[in-house]
Amino acid sequence: MELTNQLILFGAGLLLISIIASVVSDRLGAPLLLIFLSIGMLLGEDGLFGIAFDDVQAAHLIGSVALAVILFDGGLRTQLSTFRVALKPALALATVGVAVTAGLTAAAAYWLFDLNWTQALLIGAIVSSTDAAAVFSLLHSRGLELKQRVAATLEIESGSNDPMAILLTILLVELLIQQPDSLALAATVEFVQQMGLGAVFGIAGGILLAATINRINLTPGLYPLLALGGALAIFGGTAVLGGSGFLAAYLAGLVLGNRKLQASQNIRRFHDGFAWLAQITMFVVLGLLVTPSELLPIAIPALLTAAALTLVARPLAVLLCLAPFRFPWREQAFISWVGLRGAVPIILGLFPLLAGIEGAELFFNVAFFVVLISLIIQGWTIAPAARWLGLEVPPDSAAAQRQEIDVPQQTDYEIVVYRLTENSPARLKPIGTLALPDSAQVAALFRGGVALSEPQRQILQAQDHIYLVVLPEDIPGLDRLFVAPLGPSYLEEQRFFGEFTLSGQTRLIDLATAYGVSVPQGAQPEETLNDYLLWVFNGRAVVGDRVRIDNLQFTIREMRDSEITSVGMRIR
Amino acid sequence: MDIEQLISPERVRCLSGLEDKEQVLQHVGELISIADPQLTGTEICDRLMARERLGSTGLGHGVALPHARLEGIERAAGALVRLDHGIDFQAFDKTPVDLLFVLVVPEHFTDEHLQILAALAEMFSDPELCERLRRTESDRELHAALSEWRPASDAT
Repeated sequence: MELTNQLILFGAGLLLISIIASVVSDRLGAPLLLIFLSIGMLLGEDGLFGIAFDDVQAAHLIGSVALAVILFDGGLRTQLSTFRVALKPALALATVGVAVTAGLTAAAAYWLFDLNWTQALLIGAIVSSTDAAAVFSLLHSRGLELKQRVAATLEIESGSNDPMAILLTILLVELLIQQPDSLALAATVEFVQQMGLGAVFGIAGGILLAATINRINLTPGLYPLLALGGALAIFGGTAVLGGSGFLAAYLAGLVLGNRKLQASQNIRRFHDGFAWLAQITMFVVLGLLVTPSELLPIAIPALLTAAALTLVARPLAVLLCLAPFRFPWREQAFISWVGLRGAVPIILGLFPLLAGIEGAELFFNVAFFVVLISLIIQGWTIAPAARWLGLEVPPDSAAAQRQEIDVPQQTDYEIVVYRLTENSPARLKPIGTLALPDSAQVAALFRGGVALSEPQRQILQAQDHIYLVVLPEDIPGLDRLFVAPLGPSYLEEQRFFGEFTLSGQTRLIDLATAYGVSVPQGAQPEETLNDYLLWVFNGRAVVGDRVRIDNLQFTIREMRDSEITSVGMRIR
Repeated sequence: MDIEQLISPERVRCLSGLEDKEQVLQHVGELISIADPQLTGTEICDRLMARERLGSTGLGHGVALPHARLEGIERAAGALVRLDHGIDFQAFDKTPVDLLFVLVVPEHFTDEHLQILAALAEMFSDPELCERLRRTESDRELHAALSEWRPASDAT
């Protein structure tokens, strides 16, 4: 009894401290995951509380469940439309990239530690995958808004490269325990099985889960749990049958997040919170598991391994994998730098321990050290690096004053709510005279907590809440009506895109006539800006991509599907 | 850029009763052709409209900067128009436009054209100036408000 209560108090305290620490981390600019990991280490053997936690099996269980939840949530948030620009590069990084990174890092580990090649390769494999939890949380933190091609490549890569690293690790662990007859054959079979089953069960499971959620009527609170249960069942089922559960969980999330779904906002919000809980738990437990004093003896070689990984292995792998896709060098540099390592290497570091390999602690400790370095150095520098390389696009500043609500039926429409402020452009205007986007309809108007009748006839005031039904693509139009263009952000947007906005269908020859600029080399005068920009960016153009024609700078401002609809023009 | 060299009092107008883009640009075309009669108002309007078809020259916040290069005129000319109510200008932010500065330059003015445009865009991004221009009640006041404008500071 007493112990139960103490454990509850302890667990809750830990959770509260971790959550409050996130505020501090925001102020310091420190990566949040590092804070969670540090809290775990502080509580552990060499820390303040001296908790001796060394249950590898339990840590592995917690870590796996948490990762499945995080990957599922990552999939839920990934827009399928980003696949247009990022799928192939991300898949190249997730397969060939992982193998190259593992190989090159192994070469460094071979020289730095007293290991044979198989052992060195195991170290390489363990640290070879980027971490979804770390990438998702760092890319979305601190109002960082990256060019879609870069963000989507990193996200899809981190969501889909774990299976490859897990596969390599399992193979090498098996190799160290016993000598299989035909390694190449075993590897190929294992790879095909892991990836194939993971993909099939993930997609099929996702479709089935979405259909189930849409078919049955439940208390609203149960839908997110149904999604969670489904996700974990897909993860577990796939893994039991010999596929990659992590890939399956990510794909199931992706399918679910991109279908019409009952209670989808509800599910998203729940999973957002639950993914946080998973991250906190996982990193605190992994921090508890490590014995920091054991890290000291390996500090120097592990540091050099981390350096080799970050400065040599990752950049070479990125260079090689992205070569066919002609990414601008700045984007390649950023993707190279943001090869964030997180929980996956630490969890993979547990595999040799679970298998009972001699000297397995070394693998775990090296993995832990590499992750720690990666979180500190890369985690801390990701935002400045993006700024320095010019990969940010102006953020959606309106999101803070807009709220989205579930529509009970399965439809493309969403309900959005705006709270009007003193400087909202629509204030003091009669609702009937607002230039609403075509799909938008005013559903209700609340003033002082009271719903007003006939909202069409009302004049908007500050503090009003206006509810509108709208198609998602028209939300930016509503933002412009209801949300005050904060001076700096408007100016920033104007500086970024330029003063004038041209249609993507503008012909180059018309541009030349209007401004006396030349038609760029290699382009046809009859081509439109859309054709030309798509050609320049190899079909993978994204918002924020820029070209210069003489003294004019053109920046892609809006895209619909894979067409460029509007282009900002700046005179310089 | 010296704004005084572009405008003259008869091309700074508070207008009312104009319903759409074409009507406004036609009116402005005529204002400009009074000073530079080589081209008719309709010809000027056509060139301005041709530029609009590439994308609205609306800057957002109810301001627009229609512009064109014209064959047959000698010097750059500008016109400032304030409308009594906003008209649809297909601007990026969909806000109706009630403040327009129209710029026409001779065909050979390639670099100058861009320089003047950039300066005008900068000038009309100043919300205080736009507010002051909107508060004026006569052509004379409008002209005075425009002439008084100085860049807020060199730092920006």
